[in-house]
Amino acid sequence: MGRLFVVNLEGKVYSCKHCKIHLALVDDILSKSFQSRHGKAYLFSKVVNVSVGEKEDRLMITGLHTVADIFCIGCGSIVGWKYEFAHEKSQKYKEGKSVLERFKVSGPDGSHYWVSHETHVGGSDADDV
Amino acid sequence: MGGVEDDEPASKRMKLSSEALIHLSNGSTVKESIVGSSRDLMARPLQSDGGEEVVGSKGVIKKVEFVRIIAKALYSLGYIRSGAHLEEESGIALHSSIINVFMRQVLEGDWDESVATLHNIGLTDEMIIKSASFLILEQKFFEFLDEEKVMDALKTLRTEISPLCINHGRVRELSLSIVSPSHCFTVRSPKQNTSRARSRTKLLEELQKLLPPTVMVPERRLEHLVEQALGLQRDACMFHNSLDEEISLFADHQCARDQIPSYALQVDANGISLKHKLSGHQKPVSSVSWSPDDHQLLTCGVEEVVRRWDASSGECLSVYEKAGLGMVSCGWSPDGKWIFSGVNDKSISLWELDGRELECWKGQHTLKISDLEITSDGKQIISICRETAILLLDREAKVERFIEEDQTITSFSLSRDNRFLLVNLLNQEIHLWSIEDDLKLVSKYRGHKRTRFIIRSCFGGLEQAFVASGSEDSLVYIWHRGTGELIEALPGHSGAVNCVSWNPTNPHMLASASDDRTIRIWGLNNLSAKQKDTHGNGIHYCNGGT
Repeated sequence: MGRLFVVNLEGKVYSCKHCKIHLALVDDILSKSFQSRHGKAYLFSKVVNVSVGEKEDRLMITGLHTVADIFCIGCGSIVGWKYEFAHEKSQKYKEGKSVLERFKVSGPDGSHYWVSHETHVGGSDADDV
Repeated sequence: MGGVEDDEPASKRMKLSSEALIHLSNGSTVKESIVGSSRDLMARPLQSDGGEEVVGSKGVIKKVEFVRIIAKALYSLGYIRSGAHLEEESGIALHSSIINVFMRQVLEGDWDESVATLHNIGLTDEMIIKSASFLILEQKFFEFLDEEKVMDALKTLRTEISPLCINHGRVRELSLSIVSPSHCFTVRSPKQNTSRARSRTKLLEELQKLLPPTVMVPERRLEHLVEQALGLQRDACMFHNSLDEEISLFADHQCARDQIPSYALQVDANGISLKHKLSGHQKPVSSVSWSPDDHQLLTCGVEEVVRRWDASSGECLSVYEKAGLGMVSCGWSPDGKWIFSGVNDKSISLWELDGRELECWKGQHTLKISDLEITSDGKQIISICRETAILLLDREAKVERFIEEDQTITSFSLSRDNRFLLVNLLNQEIHLWSIEDDLKLVSKYRGHKRTRFIIRSCFGGLEQAFVASGSEDSLVYIWHRGTGELIEALPGHSGAVNCVSWNPTNPHMLASASDDRTIRIWGLNNLSAKQKDTHGNGIHYCNGGT
């Protein structure tokens, strides 16, 4: 395989659960109140070492959004999604930002998150307080 | 156009216009009094022919100027009779008669007369008149000294050159040369040290450069214009990649596509065999670098050590390491006497070959994944120092310059002449930066694909006129460097193409390495290209291994 181009972050880092590649900094968390099919998800201002999938329109709790799934470049597993375009004005702040599913990443202390029973089953949705 | 000039009062026409020249050639003769002729040319009415007539389909070439430079070219070529005949037949004089008088006076050494003529040509710029007078009188001065007429030379200096009040430094040098004859030799301009006839001809050339081009047509002007046009044609030729391509004046130059390497060549497998397996690294090897004399190899294990090997024996000669730290990149000095490497604490270290550390630049100088290069004069070390910045570190002057980008930088490549840097970005763009004096973004190249890997690009072709790059869609991309246009996207590999290398001595050969575990050699679609001798450029690859 070719040599992966990997950005190394400094500070408290969330990394890919499977291959440990850095994905985002704790300092870049914008909101911890998002929801995905696997439970909690965080909105980040900046996410690195991911490749972006095809754009598609998805109806979420907060309205219609154009999003693209994001994949870890190391192992290819899906780690969250990126907001490309928000159809509702109040949701515009999300554009260009990415959500990482807590289940898919290792925390800064190496901790993992297990899906709890309260999670609602459904598509990846956004729910902000 | 000619009508406008008709209405202007004669006194307003200060400079010599081309119309005036025609009248001079038609009417005046050499014997006419010089003072009188300049007044006459102002008062004479314009004739209708040879006004602002133009030639050529675009209407931008003035006929009079065109004929004058042709006449000048004929004279330069030695066709005196043809030149004179052209002047006569067209009624357009190459130079006004007063200029002809002036030129003759200079060549014959009639210094005082020539200075007087200078004032009557009708020049408006006082400085030009003074500078030209200075040159003439300087020649007069030196010729006196040659004839050992020291008093005359001194008189010239005092009463004629000094009052001009320009070039005071030169005046002092001239006075020194009277006092000290040996000093005189060094003070003389190069033209003085040739024969008298030749030095006068050189003087005329220098005067020509001073005077406005409409007054005295510059030497080789027509040749210069033609060369300029040919140069533009050549630059616009996107496929120009062969030295022996002749440029003819009869048709615009345009190469065919066939000079760009675009066919996978058959490589004789018997010619390549495994020579050595260099074992010793415990971690993956991230870079390999040939020594300038091609006898040794430098390799770097990822966050491990740097090893130096003898290429013929396969023996490891040295190991470079730092306690508690890991090396991340390596390179040779251009003279092969020392090596340098990036360390995972962001510093860059310099080592003697025997292992002694020479220098260490601490601080944010390099990243864990970064190219590390040095200019061929050994002066500047280049490395990615931050996600979006490249550091150019001048070792001697201790000066740091930075190329700042808006996107993450993944790799870069230095041109052979040290003047340009090709920067690969995360967002699939390649930026060309000029790094010689000011750091300037020159061009952008797009089209290839990059999402996960480090993809490398390089310069190549005749005079490095092309940019080539690998791509994750398994094509090899080639752009014309000057225009930024994509020329080729070569299919053939069945996996991401990670890097490309254009043969520095053979513009018709390109190599590419891919995740399909092959290296392809690309060339021209004719047999002669295969036979050309190849020369390694410092980076060699093994076929088959990962």
